[in-house]
Amino acid sequence: MIESISNLWSIPLLVIIPMLTAIIVNFLYDKAIKPIAISSAIIILIISIISPYGYHWFCGHPALNPETLTFTFNPNIFGYKLSLEFIFGPLQHIMIFISSLILLFCVILSTIGLTKHQGPYIALLFLLFMSSAIVIMVNDLYHLWIAVEIGSLIVVGIAAASGTSISHKAALKYGLFSAISGAGLAVSLALVLGLTGFSNISDAIMYLKQFGIGEMSTVLYIAFGFFVLSWMYAGGLAPIHPLKSEVYGASYPHGTALLQAQSKLMLVAIGIIMLRLFGMLPFVKEVMIFLSVITMMIGVIMALIQIDFRWIIAYLIISHSGFVTLGIGLGTQEGLIGGIFQAVNDIIYMTILLLCCEALFYFGGKTSTKEAYDIAKKSPFIATATILGAIAASGIPPFNGFQSEIILIQACLKEGLPEIAVLILMVSVTTFIALLRGIYRIFLKPPELQDQDNSNVDLPKVLIIGIIIFIILSIIIGIYPDIVLRFIIPVVKEVLSI
Amino acid sequence: MTEVTIQLLGFIAAAILIVVGMGGMLFLDNLIKKIIAFTLLSDGVNLLLVALAYREGGIVPILLPGMSIYDFTSRAILIFPAGIVLTNIVIGVSTTAILVALVIMLYRRYGTLKASVILKGERR
Repeated sequence: MIESISNLWSIPLLVIIPMLTAIIVNFLYDKAIKPIAISSAIIILIISIISPYGYHWFCGHPALNPETLTFTFNPNIFGYKLSLEFIFGPLQHIMIFISSLILLFCVILSTIGLTKHQGPYIALLFLLFMSSAIVIMVNDLYHLWIAVEIGSLIVVGIAAASGTSISHKAALKYGLFSAISGAGLAVSLALVLGLTGFSNISDAIMYLKQFGIGEMSTVLYIAFGFFVLSWMYAGGLAPIHPLKSEVYGASYPHGTALLQAQSKLMLVAIGIIMLRLFGMLPFVKEVMIFLSVITMMIGVIMALIQIDFRWIIAYLIISHSGFVTLGIGLGTQEGLIGGIFQAVNDIIYMTILLLCCEALFYFGGKTSTKEAYDIAKKSPFIATATILGAIAASGIPPFNGFQSEIILIQACLKEGLPEIAVLILMVSVTTFIALLRGIYRIFLKPPELQDQDNSNVDLPKVLIIGIIIFIILSIIIGIYPDIVLRFIIPVVKEVLSI
Repeated sequence: MTEVTIQLLGFIAAAILIVVGMGGMLFLDNLIKKIIAFTLLSDGVNLLLVALAYREGGIVPILLPGMSIYDFTSRAILIFPAGIVLTNIVIGVSTTAILVALVIMLYRRYGTLKASVILKGERR
């Protein structure tokens, strides 16, 4: 990683541009927001591509290396590194790039017309991206807590934006629980701060390693408990998965695409922080693995019994979050690589499925398997794209899902957990069955009544372009996984070396 | 009272507020009461942070003209928890506002504030 004493220019831009855009488009409401929103999303995408790696502090100085008397960013050196610190490294590069790509398509799609009150809605999309970017870049507990809190409130807003009674109820439930988990994370932050005196995560870890946990273990367990609560809540892990799955199912599909990307980013970021801060405590990894396994199982079983395609995808997102957390929970090099890689892949193939689901809104707005028929005749492209998305989500080569799942299976086998490896395979197969059931009924099943409307519908070009881009990404990563792995492997090595 | 006693009392009061708030949020049926319970929970967290930052005879963490850095650092309460409390107040207000707005919308639709009625399952 490039070391630079000066603050990196791109980090504040990745936070300030979405924030400013949100303020402006919210103020303008429905007038002239399209050029501002789209150009801002493009600028954010460009920044995420061209940004070098580095740090950003709010005040203070990096640690002074006592041997060389030079400033250093080596986290192994204990010193007064500044507490409020942001990092833009390879992990942030790939995660923010994918999120900003989804943001761009979400913003364009929401300006086309499905959404009411476009200004406030697009403002929420930008703020959601901002909270995800903060969570993945942050290296202090203070900003982590703020980003999780802001992210939760924005998720409530995006869910409520679709304007149905189900969406309002989902938003209220999520909002009420966000109050509990947000407060829990604040208590956790207070406990870690009280124990170590540091809010900077690297400094707190160094303190715990240097002075040992000893009598602090009880308080650390309480802090870990609150962290787990926030992790479960932010990522929609079982047993509180219904809150998140209702939000996914009740939001517009393009909004869900961004929501699930934010959830995956939070799972990765909070998961890695938990592993670093509490990894030395007994049973921590076991708790993380247990939560992952029940999330994988419950999510996929719930997906099987759904009758609405949106809700099938919503529960599959929950189920596949279990893959991500399983990899992180294993805590090994292969596990972490597999978990983070799965997060990237999951974001991509779920976006394909959600954009295809968005297309269903243009064919009468029916996504229930009991109401929609024979869409393949009206749009063979959407039917093909959905099948390709389903194949990618089921971990079938040559798509990207296969590459991360095989790494996860290998990691489980290396850790002596063959039963979990078998479970991953079973969840993959069940994912395919759940999706195929929905695809058959919506796309292939002939209409029950002969007078069904078979007129062609013009889908927005940007929707088709978006689906094609994400399918191409899925295939490219499936064939050449190193494109993504070269970003992930150095980060994992750094996390494990501390 | 000594520094430890005051701090301990603060921690105990915070723990009571947090438990009462969490209990209210989980077990009360009225949505407005749930929101009031949330404010108690939020205040409990704030009190925990304030107690954490407490220093016997401490001053507010603002560097006034004429005050030396040594004097400031030896007397000021811990700055960081105070900053977190400030942020938590803002977040608490925002969360309350959003929750109340959602409750108003749902009340208009269902004509009740009972969570057991409003939030019960609906066939999709």
